Amino acid sequence: MLSESFGMSELEKLKKEILRGAIRENVELLDDRAYIERRFWRPRWQWRWPARALTAAAAGVVVFLSVNAISTGGAEKPEVLVVTPGTAAQAPLAGLHQAPRAIAPTLFRLEVGKVVLDPGHGGADPGASAASGLVEKEVTLDVARRLRALLEEARFQVGMTRADDRALALRERVAMANAEHADLFVSIHVNSIPQKEARAVETYFLGAADGPQIAEVARIENQGSGYSLSDFRQLLDGVYAGVRQEESRRLAGEVQKSLFSGLHEANRELYDRGVKSAPLAVLIGTEMPGILVEVSCVSNEAEARLLARTDYRQRIAASIFQGLRSYMDSREPAPRTAGRKTEKGS
Amino acid sequence: MAGKKDLLHVGIDLGTSRSAITASNGSRHVVESYVGWPVDMVARKVVKKPILFGREALENRPMLDLHRPLERGLIKEGSEKDEAAVRELLRHLISLAAPTEGQKVQAVVGVPAEALRVSRQNLRTAVKGVADALMIVSEPFAVAYGLDALLHTMIIDIGAGTTDFCVMNGRYPTEEDQRTLTNAGDAVDDQLMMLVKARHPEARFSIHMIREWKEANGFVGEPGAPVHVTAPVSGKPTLLDITSEMRKACETLVAPLSETMLDLLSRVEPEYQERVRRNVLLAGGGSQIRGLSAALEKALANVGGGSVRPIEDPVFAGAIGGLAIALDAPGEDWEQLAG
Repeated sequence: MLSESFGMSELEKLKKEILRGAIRENVELLDDRAYIERRFWRPRWQWRWPARALTAAAAGVVVFLSVNAISTGGAEKPEVLVVTPGTAAQAPLAGLHQAPRAIAPTLFRLEVGKVVLDPGHGGADPGASAASGLVEKEVTLDVARRLRALLEEARFQVGMTRADDRALALRERVAMANAEHADLFVSIHVNSIPQKEARAVETYFLGAADGPQIAEVARIENQGSGYSLSDFRQLLDGVYAGVRQEESRRLAGEVQKSLFSGLHEANRELYDRGVKSAPLAVLIGTEMPGILVEVSCVSNEAEARLLARTDYRQRIAASIFQGLRSYMDSREPAPRTAGRKTEKGS
Repeated sequence: MAGKKDLLHVGIDLGTSRSAITASNGSRHVVESYVGWPVDMVARKVVKKPILFGREALENRPMLDLHRPLERGLIKEGSEKDEAAVRELLRHLISLAAPTEGQKVQAVVGVPAEALRVSRQNLRTAVKGVADALMIVSEPFAVAYGLDALLHTMIIDIGAGTTDFCVMNGRYPTEEDQRTLTNAGDAVDDQLMMLVKARHPEARFSIHMIREWKEANGFVGEPGAPVHVTAPVSGKPTLLDITSEMRKACETLVAPLSETMLDLLSRVEPEYQERVRRNVLLAGGGSQIRGLSAALEKALANVGGGSVRPIEDPVFAGAIGGLAIALDAPGEDWEQLAG
C-alpha cells in the first residue's frame, strides 16, 4: 500500500525505524522488572517512614529532626534532635507514635519507591451508580489499573488493595497498604452528589472535616470500614501528626491541580472543588502519606457518559500520575549544610 | 546465532474472541479464544484431555472450567487461571504451527491495544516462556505493519472486547495516535441478546448463538434480506425474524466509532488530514458488518469526505502483520527478547 507513493528503499527505511520503536518498547518492558527489583528491593522495614530515620541513625548517620515546627509556627529556629546509633537502637517505634513530631521532609530525601493504589468499593459493594448502569467499583478499578501501568512504566513499585472485583472492608485496605510498606497511598473514588448538574473533581487528605458536607462524605466513605468507635480514637492517636498530614496535603494539592487541568480540556464544564480535609478511615489507618481522590461525579449524566469512555479514564489516570510526579519532583533533597547550622552537640 | 532453518517465526493475533497464528513454515490456524480445564476427574475421563481449546472447549463447556482470558480486551487479573489460560492458548497456537524438534520459536504477539496499555507487565509475565523469544505489539499496529500502511493511514480494528483506533504517521504509534472504545463485538452481542429476548421472550438461546447470528448476518443501514434464525421455542426449533433487532444492535457501533474517528482525525497535522481520511481501513471481525464502512464514510462526508475500506482477510491480518514484524526484526534484537 505504502509503496504506491513511496520507493522501496524508503519503505524499508521507514519500517526499520518503526520496528525499532516496537523492539525498544519490548526491551524496556523486559528490563523493567529487573530494574525495579534491583532499585527498589529493600528489607521490608526500610519502607516505613519513621523507621527510615532510625535506619540512617543506626548506620552512624546523624539525622536531624526538626521538632514541632508546626507548633512553634515556624517563628523559632527548629530544634534539632541528634539521634546517635545507641539511642536509635533503643528507641521503640511505639514511642514515635506517642510523641508525634513534625519532620521537615526536605531535611533528608525520602525517595518514593512504592505506591499503593486503592480502587474504591468492589464485590457486593458497587459504590455510586449512574442511570446508565455504570458503577463506581468498575470505574475505580479500571482507573487504578491504568494508573498502575503508568507508574510501572516510570519504574515505581505498585501495590493494589484489590486487582479484581472483590469486596474489601476499609480496615483490610488499610492493613494491606501498611503491609506493603508503601510510600504513598492513593484511594480512588467516584463522587455522587445531590446537585445532578455538577461535574466536579476533589481530593481529600486526612484532617478534621472542613464542613458539614465533608462530614457527610466522610460518613459515606467510612461505611463498612471494619473499625469500631474505640478503634477510631486509637487510630487518631496514632496519626503521625505532622509530617504525614503535611505531606498528604501537598500530595493532594498536586494531584488535584493536575487532575483538574488534565480533565478540563475534555470536560469544559468541570468544576474544581479543590483540596479538602476529612476524617476518612482509609486515610487514618494508613501509615504513609495518603489521599482520596474523587475523580468525577457519576451523578451527572454527561460525566457518567465520559466515564464510560476508555480514553477519558486513561486521561484520569494520566492526570493523577502527573500529580504524583509533580509531588515527587518537588521533594528536593536539602543542601547538606542546612542541618549543621542548628546542630546541638555531637 | 541460529540459522534460518533452526528458527520458526510466528505472528499471533491474540484476540478476545478469536486467536490466529501464521508461521514462516506456511502454516496458519485460527481458534476461538476459549480455554477449558475439566472440572473434575469424571469430566476429564469424558473429554479425555487435560485441557481443551476453541470450539472443542466451547462445545464441552458444561464439563469445563471455561475461560475467555481477554474479556473486554484486558487480561483478567486476580485469577491465576486466566493468566494460565493466556499462556496455554499461546502454547496451543504455537503447537499448531508445528515447529520441528529443536527449532527455536520467535513470536510476535498482537494484543488489544488496551491490554498493552493497562496490563503490560501482567501480560508479559503471563506469556513468559511460551516461546524462545517474544515480542508483544498492539493489534492495530500489527495490522498496519502487515499491510505496509505505515503513513497517513487510520486503522480501526473492531474486535470483540474493544475497538482500537490507530493513526500511522510514519512512526511507532504513541498514546496520542491511538484510541480504544469498549463499543465492540461483545457490546453488540449484549444489545442483540437484550433486543431478541424482548421481541421473542419465549425463545431459548445463548450468547454463543447470538454471536454466531451476528457474525453471519450483521448489518447497518438497509437490510439486503430479512434475517431469520432458528431457536427452540418450548423445545421446538422455530424460525425467528430478528432483522430490526440485528440492525439496531449493530448500529450502536456507528455513533461512537464515527465520533472517535473524527476526533482522532482532527488531531492529525492539518496538511495530512485529507490523506488519512482517504485511507481509513477497517480490520477485525467487526469489519465484516455489512454497511459499516459506508456508514463511516457518511460521517467523513461532513468533514470533506473520505474512504473507508474493510481489509482483506481480517481474520489473519493481525497474525500476518505479526509474522512480518518477526521476520523483519534483526537477529540481535531477538536475542535481547529471549526468555
